[in-house]
Amino acid sequence: MASEHVLQQRPLIEGNKTPGQVTADICRLLDGKPSGTWWAAFLASASLLGLGAVAIGYQIMTGIGVWGLNNTVGWAFDITNFVFWIGIGHAGTLISAVLFLFRQRWRTSVNRAAEAMTIFAVMCAGIFPLIHMGRPWFAYWMFPYINARGPLWINFRSPLVWDFFAIATYFTISLTFWYIGMVPDLATIRDRLKPGLRKNIMSFLALGWNGSYRTWLRYETVYMLLAGLATPLVISVHTIVSWDFATSVIPGWHTTIFPPYFVAGAVFSGMAMVLTLMLIARKTMHLEDYITKQHLGAMTKLMLFTGSLVGLAYGTEFFTAAYSGNKYEQFTFLNRAMGPFAWAYWTMVSCNVITPQLFWFKRVRENFLIVFILTIFVNIGMWFERFVIIVTSLHRDYLPASWADYSPSLVEIATLLGSFGLFLTLFLLFVRFVPVIAMGEVKGVLGIGRGSGHGS
Amino acid sequence: MSNKPASKPDGWGQRLPELPDGGAGAPLQKDLLNGVSRRHFMQATGFAFIGTMMLGCTAVSEEEALPYLEQPEGVIAGRSDLYATTCGGCSAGCGMLARSRDGRPVKLEGNPDHPLSHGGLCAVGQASLLGLYDSHRLRAPVMDGKASDWASVDVALGDRLRQLRSASGRVAWLGAPITSPNKRARVEEFLATFDNGRLVEASANSQMPIAEAHGLTHGVATVPRYHFDRAQVIVSVDADFLGTWISPVEFTAAWSSRRRGDALENGFSEHVQFESRMSVTGTKADLRLRIAPGERAAVLNQLVRHLSQHAHRSLRQIQDRPLTSVDDAQIAAIAARLWEHRDQALVVCGADDLAAQTLCNAANELLGAYGKCLDLAQPAHHAGSSETELSLLLDEIAAGRIDALFVDGLNPVLDLPAGAALAQRLDAMQLVVSFSPYEDETSAHADFICPDHHYLESWSDNDNITGLMSYTQPIVAPMGATRQLEESLSMWTTGAVVPVRDQVLASSGGDVRRFDKLLHDGFEMRDVRQNAGNFRPDGVHAASDPDASGLQLVLYSKVAIPSSAHAFNPWLHELPDPVTKSVWDNYASLSPATAERLSLQDGDVVRVALGQDAAVEVPVLIQPGQHDSAVAVALGYGSVLSRRFEGVGPGWIERKPTVGSDGLVGASATAVLAFEGGRRKFAGRSVTVEATGARRELARTQDYHSLDVPPHLAPEGGERRPNVQETTVAALMDPHFGEHAIEHHDGGNMWPVDHPYEGHHWGMVIDLTLCTGCSACVTSCQVENNVPVVGKDEVRRNREMHWLRIDRYFVDRDPATAGGDRSNGTGNGDVDVSHQPMMCHHCDNAPCETVCPVLATVHSDEGLNQQVYNRCVGTRYCMNNCPYKVRRFNWFEYAHEDEHENLAMNPDVTIRSRGIMEKCSFCAQRIQEAKIVARQQRRPVADGDIRMACQQSCAAQAISFGDMNDPESAVARARDSRRHFQVLAEIGVQPSVGYTSLVRNRPTDHEGPQHG
Repeated sequence: MASEHVLQQRPLIEGNKTPGQVTADICRLLDGKPSGTWWAAFLASASLLGLGAVAIGYQIMTGIGVWGLNNTVGWAFDITNFVFWIGIGHAGTLISAVLFLFRQRWRTSVNRAAEAMTIFAVMCAGIFPLIHMGRPWFAYWMFPYINARGPLWINFRSPLVWDFFAIATYFTISLTFWYIGMVPDLATIRDRLKPGLRKNIMSFLALGWNGSYRTWLRYETVYMLLAGLATPLVISVHTIVSWDFATSVIPGWHTTIFPPYFVAGAVFSGMAMVLTLMLIARKTMHLEDYITKQHLGAMTKLMLFTGSLVGLAYGTEFFTAAYSGNKYEQFTFLNRAMGPFAWAYWTMVSCNVITPQLFWFKRVRENFLIVFILTIFVNIGMWFERFVIIVTSLHRDYLPASWADYSPSLVEIATLLGSFGLFLTLFLLFVRFVPVIAMGEVKGVLGIGRGSGHGS
Repeated sequence: MSNKPASKPDGWGQRLPELPDGGAGAPLQKDLLNGVSRRHFMQATGFAFIGTMMLGCTAVSEEEALPYLEQPEGVIAGRSDLYATTCGGCSAGCGMLARSRDGRPVKLEGNPDHPLSHGGLCAVGQASLLGLYDSHRLRAPVMDGKASDWASVDVALGDRLRQLRSASGRVAWLGAPITSPNKRARVEEFLATFDNGRLVEASANSQMPIAEAHGLTHGVATVPRYHFDRAQVIVSVDADFLGTWISPVEFTAAWSSRRRGDALENGFSEHVQFESRMSVTGTKADLRLRIAPGERAAVLNQLVRHLSQHAHRSLRQIQDRPLTSVDDAQIAAIAARLWEHRDQALVVCGADDLAAQTLCNAANELLGAYGKCLDLAQPAHHAGSSETELSLLLDEIAAGRIDALFVDGLNPVLDLPAGAALAQRLDAMQLVVSFSPYEDETSAHADFICPDHHYLESWSDNDNITGLMSYTQPIVAPMGATRQLEESLSMWTTGAVVPVRDQVLASSGGDVRRFDKLLHDGFEMRDVRQNAGNFRPDGVHAASDPDASGLQLVLYSKVAIPSSAHAFNPWLHELPDPVTKSVWDNYASLSPATAERLSLQDGDVVRVALGQDAAVEVPVLIQPGQHDSAVAVALGYGSVLSRRFEGVGPGWIERKPTVGSDGLVGASATAVLAFEGGRRKFAGRSVTVEATGARRELARTQDYHSLDVPPHLAPEGGERRPNVQETTVAALMDPHFGEHAIEHHDGGNMWPVDHPYEGHHWGMVIDLTLCTGCSACVTSCQVENNVPVVGKDEVRRNREMHWLRIDRYFVDRDPATAGGDRSNGTGNGDVDVSHQPMMCHHCDNAPCETVCPVLATVHSDEGLNQQVYNRCVGTRYCMNNCPYKVRRFNWFEYAHEDEHENLAMNPDVTIRSRGIMEKCSFCAQRIQEAKIVARQQRRPVADGDIRMACQQSCAAQAISFGDMNDPESAVARARDSRRHFQVLAEIGVQPSVGYTSLVRNRPTDHEGPQHG
């Protein structure tokens, strides 16, 4: 109700746009040649991607040994990156599905980009479980396919199998949702294009959209259903990812708080990444009218909430360890805070606990530059959160004789950079070829025909 | 079926039920005969078509597998045979059984019947197998630097020998101590053909003074046989008798017989160790007292002084020379304990110092130990000549007074002081003949290299101990055109090769039937006794003043690399040192306080210098429990034989080499070994230690060395990890021991017990009291299970592949007063050491099994946790979830290119490819073999039929393995022990491996040896 009230008080889109102007503004980005900035960014991203590809190729040719892992720390950057990217992907689903169902109409400016980000992030995430395998060419053995190997089957007790299904489902639904949501805009582009290959492709992708009342009705229904389908995934995916750790016997992993803690963290980090990217896009693509302080306010508040949940979870973990009387658990947490990886732990705490608290202040929330910087901190902090959980728990577990140190190899660092390269490359391609803002939806919040908008 | 075994039949030997109409294929056949319907035609053609296609799909590489034209008698392909022989790894001469598969030895095991080793075999013995298959071994004689053949060598060498004989040339034989009567006869015959032939036998370590001291005090220059099994109180002054001293396997077996915590009625010995560095033996001592190297003689002096007061016998050489490191009252108390048990007391000394050795003899004499705990009537034969003879020979060589030198079993240029000068003299000599199987530092200067056989290709007799003759028989035909030394000598002495088998046969008495029996048994006992001499008080040397000042050098031999002769062996280089857990290097061990004083860290390269010129540069290793004055450096490193390891280990962009900048593994510490008064002084010389500024990272298999967690991270009550449990003999005397002490807080099991293990349920129990950490099991496991060598860099990255590791923990005896920086768990004070072998625990609720997505690790109905290599995709989740961290991942494709070395592989165990997980399998192949044998003999598998590779090699018999379902089995009895506990039982994984607690024979208040 409150948001309804806000909606009436303040326009979601600034600059007194007409639907035609919206189309022109958004499609302008797709017309003509890309700018020098775009090229520079694209080349940089593609170089990172190339670096990552070389690193992964080298690793697959040579063996997992080219990473810094050891007999004690069996996962580090690989699964850290995986969980990080899966978390990034969360904001997309949240914005597109959950906020849609809750009628948070401010989402219209950011949902397209957020959904695209989800898909790209899940693609980045998907690489890591694949390449972290010793024999990735047998990755299909994770799939319960009909085989000629007699009783050999997958192990349904293994969280990695659950993971496989969770991520596959998530990716499929997210992709479908993104695509379906894009159909009206694809039709708009189709209609603007001169006959040719591009128009043919767009015609195909637009699925014969004709903008009729019936088409819109079908579209809205499907979109609603998909949103309903995707909503539980917001909870399920990261819950299942957290089970990779929670079902183990390793102190620091074996804890029941992980599912809500991971979900909150995922939303937190996802929002941060959406903001990071959208603030860049806003500036470079001149979308100031579409991404406003109101968006900033809503998203930073969501970050304040989820960030505080994450901070609470950190505290609760310590409390649980202290209260449990389990000496191994207690040691693990003392070791996190004061052991060899204390620097990583305090990086995480500074970024994830202190940063969101600044969002209590309206002046901070509405300052684009400060918000941008803070989201970078949150991105860093959330990467370190996963690193801390994985590495500090493993490196000193039960038997002191098997305690070991960990430091990443160059190949591991290159792979992490490569995943950013992939993500940014895809995102840059996305802003070139697909309307970065959902025109069809934005037009719906312009206020035209409501009498309460600002267009009068 | 009347003699059907009582246990559950497991499939073999059961007949399949007969099918009616002649088997499963019959219905189709019948139909076809009755007239072919279209449907059946299609079935048949479809079947045939698919069958043909399937054949095309199968990737069958063409290999020729030809059967024997004539099956050799007794050889069954795929079945291994055991041959008794004698270990040639060192001069101890342990009895061994060589396991031969399809004509090649693949595993060496201790001979359980052998009176010295009782079935144990040390790591060096285990690893000596690789020497046989070493592709760098010389395959033909070398003449003047070029490969040659025996006929040419015999002609050319014959001419040179004739010249020497006619010119009365001075000929010397410098070799390792000869323990074979036949070989000694050949050598003496050969040297007798010269007017001036002399024989000097020298060991590369510091054992020779023992014999010299007995020459002084008893008139018989020999090494006595020590009977640690008869000793109730053992005092060792710097003798690492469980690790490297004289005959460690024999001594470990004997020592362990009096250290059985479940049979206290047999006596539980008290063991006091005085030492400056931390040795394997020191880690097992009930009371370990740190002394400076320069105080060794003084300790014995004080001991003898107190003993002589008890015995009311005075020795004029003995004056009061109190030590600074140890309170004299403590030595008096130890002497009192010795005196109290004087029928069962033994003092041993490993010092190079002649005075210390004579004082040791005096102590044993006062205790009446001769004839009881040590025996001069049946002495050992591996002492060699005296230090004096050695230094005289070297002096004569240096003076150019030796014309011809024969070198056997030694590498004097590397192993003896002033090697570079010696090398120059060798070049100037008329004739130098080496029998080395390698082109090493010495043989490179030889005119002729006449490579001897590997001992597994040899015939020999060995009387390492008087009264025991052990035989060596070839297990395989010679790999190359080498010739056994005895045959070469017979050629050069008589002009014709007398086959060495005939020589040994003749030496054994000449009876072929009897000889066959001897070879089958591997040894025979003979009633031979020698004159034991009488004690001569005048022979005791006075001790010099104790010196605990400054930094004093200790040169020692490592358990893994006892001498440079083993420097070729990658298994031994990669075997973690039992105390330091370091591999692939030697280093200067310093105490934590000394390192702190000199501002040195682990891995800082220091220059350990003896005066101006002599110095060695090695990295620092900080060793808790070492005396502050000691700087300990291992000998045997820096050999050219290690040059081959330049490329060892997987290659990748961040790879660092295993060898140093000089291309060698470690640095040769003989640079700082020198003669002093005609004797090699291994320990006690003043040295300076200076940082060079360089660093050389040490590769250690253990990064954290204490059971105590770092104090600043310790939760209250969680300061010490409970995975090693300790007790004392005094506590065990309490009949209520163990009733309340060890609680398994399992927390109840939430799962139904649906795996009843109705047949076998394999389990293992390891006695921590008996485990000395000697690491024979580690190498045995490596050989048995084809575990790859990964190189120094990979070990440094904690990626060693050993399936079995031995966790070694230091614990401050008194954390409150330990002082120093305890952030690594230990301070500067005295430490207690524990060794804990750690391998897959085959948990009944295995955490690894549930998390594998592809079911690559599964549980057998006999309780084994089985790793299915070809199913594994390598997620490493199992490794992370293993609370014992015993799983090993193939980070790379490890090298198996050396076709010769590959012959040492066990054909029963798969070679693992990269990207998959592996771990201890409880030697599944051995379980299977024992089951097959039992089935063939139509009997159930009996307890003791199955011996794990680790268990087999253990000299202390610390490991028991068997069926936990059989209440009479050794393992079931061990699990019933009051001392039994399981590591991490509290997390509910229900391991199949248990431990019995570490018993120390000391009062519970940690003060002094006096109790009871």
